[in-house]
Amino acid sequence: MLLRILVWAVLAFLISPLIVIVLFSFHSSPALSFPFAGFSLRWYAELFNNAQLGSAVMKSLTVAFLTSVVTLLIGTTASLAWLRLGKVGRGFIEAVSVTPIALPGLFVGVSLLVLFAQAGLQLSTLTIVISHVVIALPILIVAMKARLALFDPSLEEASRDLGASQFQTFRRVTLPLIAPTLISSAILAFAVSFDEFVVTSFVAGTETTLPMYIWSMMRRTVTPLINAISTLALLFSILILLGAWLISHVRRRSAVAARIES
Amino acid sequence: MAAIAPIIEIRNGTKMFGSFTALADINLSINQGEILTLLGPSGCGKTTLMRLIAGFENLTSGTIQIGGVDIANIPPERRPVNMVFQRYALFPHLDVFENVAFGLKVKGMPKEERTERVNRMLHIVQLESFANRYIDQLSGGQCQRVALARALVNGPKVLLLDEPLAALDLKIRQHMLAEMKRIHIETGATFVYVTHDQDEALILSDRVVLMEKGRVVQVDRPTEMYAKPKSLFAAKFLGETNIFETTITAVNGIGTTARTSSGIQFHSSETLTKKPSEKIAVSIRPESLTFQHKNPDAQSAECVVDDIVFMGSRSFYTVRLNDQSKVRVQVQRDGRLSVPSPGDKATIFWDASNVVMLPRD
Ligand SMILES: Nc1ncnc2c1ncn2[C@@H]1O[C@H](COP(=O)(O)OP(=O)(O)OP(=O)(O)O)[C@@H](O)[C@H]1O
Ligand SMILES: [Mg+2]
Repeated sequence: MLLRILVWAVLAFLISPLIVIVLFSFHSSPALSFPFAGFSLRWYAELFNNAQLGSAVMKSLTVAFLTSVVTLLIGTTASLAWLRLGKVGRGFIEAVSVTPIALPGLFVGVSLLVLFAQAGLQLSTLTIVISHVVIALPILIVAMKARLALFDPSLEEASRDLGASQFQTFRRVTLPLIAPTLISSAILAFAVSFDEFVVTSFVAGTETTLPMYIWSMMRRTVTPLINAISTLALLFSILILLGAWLISHVRRRSAVAARIES
Repeated sequence: MAAIAPIIEIRNGTKMFGSFTALADINLSINQGEILTLLGPSGCGKTTLMRLIAGFENLTSGTIQIGGVDIANIPPERRPVNMVFQRYALFPHLDVFENVAFGLKVKGMPKEERTERVNRMLHIVQLESFANRYIDQLSGGQCQRVALARALVNGPKVLLLDEPLAALDLKIRQHMLAEMKRIHIETGATFVYVTHDQDEALILSDRVVLMEKGRVVQVDRPTEMYAKPKSLFAAKFLGETNIFETTITAVNGIGTTARTSSGIQFHSSETLTKKPSEKIAVSIRPESLTFQHKNPDAQSAECVVDDIVFMGSRSFYTVRLNDQSKVRVQVQRDGRLSVPSPGDKATIFWDASNVVMLPRD
């Protein structure tokens, strides 16, 4: 009984801030405290008329998209290598990939800044993307590792045994089997990049991403606009997760349906 | 099974993993159309030998020929063999039909012909109604049949089966053994079958290859190997047996005589190349011992009955000899004969033809 209460308490603790934010994003008055005065969409209307905000959102989406594509390409290659490596090789990849996760963002930000300066690279969208890849890749590899451990290498041997070349085996067996892992990893990379703030603030130069814009807005005044932005971001995350789930679910069904028809 | 030329020929095959010798100097010919089983305890190299034939490993030294061609440089996808894996290795992202069609599809067979061949194969393994099921919706026995169909549909010259029945329970196993024999006859392929279950080996095979620690110990027909094991290991591994430690007392034209330290005497009609006073092991199967004195030439020993295990049509007796060593006796049920009860004194008898003398390990 006590345990059950505890569980609910923890859940309430985790979720209540979200509920408050969503609720107040529809508040008809700028007040950020109870009593609740009534519902309105005025903050959302204000959001859509804010050009600066719009360009920050576009910047963040672009960066997150590029980051997830690059991370996915490197991650796929790394995971193929991982499947073929022995204990020692896997241990090495693990050590190298886990370390950056443990480093403070501050440190990573300064290091990257110094690196870009030495390489003579102008701070731009490119440097943001590079930095985000550096941050997302280790997280991606750790996430992939657990699921790739379930991959049965004898499936690749079975494929070769049945007459498939190395490339055919990759296309018809390995790729379809690791695709769900790759897709969910790409989504993870997207999410990591989309709300990255600390490192971005070092390497962004004159560019402004959404988290940076919110930060600068908050420094002036705390406005209810923040609630509306956060609510949209929340909705966006839920949609992406839902999409990923649907993709993996529908593929299977459509495959059967296609053959039964033909 | 009259063989003209062997389909697979392994000569001086040695396989090392680092400094560990998994297979040592294997010489083996596999005949066209036979069922050959590789039998041996866990870790003796059965799977390794299969993987060498299939092309997933390379010999450290020696050669393997399939159909007279050295296959050292032929990758697995171009060898005329197919393998049924120890854990099936069915593709989880494909359904039964697509799994079976996989080999034909990657070889570019036109769709119509492919569909027809797959359907015919599914009919042979009696899985037509499961064509659209995914692998995780099948039972163990069904998976096993899919694995078999997926390999056989390619019409391999040699089918390699690595403990295909290990994951199944006894009942399905017996059923699948019969299926396997039927499919073997229907397809005419050569089967190389791995198992560490001696019953499977005895039921299924034309010839048994007995392996121990990376070596081939004996290659023989199942009945031969059972009746005339060439080593103590073979005698113990295949079926149940009683082993007696003895010393040779006489070797002459009518055979060999040996005696245990407690004075029990064994006579075999085989003339060994050993000399008197050399140590030798004697093996007698439980079913070769009897409590009835039917043969005037029979040899015998006094004993006391310890325990009886009744198993339907036959019973297993454990008896103690004078030197306290325990011996197992198998008795076929026969209402007309009287048999001893626990605690009774009795005599066990055996014939010279059932005495197998073997070098000690
Ligand atoms: N890739 C490998 N690297 C190192 N040693 C290996 C490798 N593959 C097999 N071995 C070793 O070679 C020996 C034979 O292995 P193998 O798998 O052929 O045995 P098996 O007879 O099939 O056994 P089981 O009945 O348990 O399946 C074992 O001692 C095993 O540890
Ligand atoms: Mg094995």
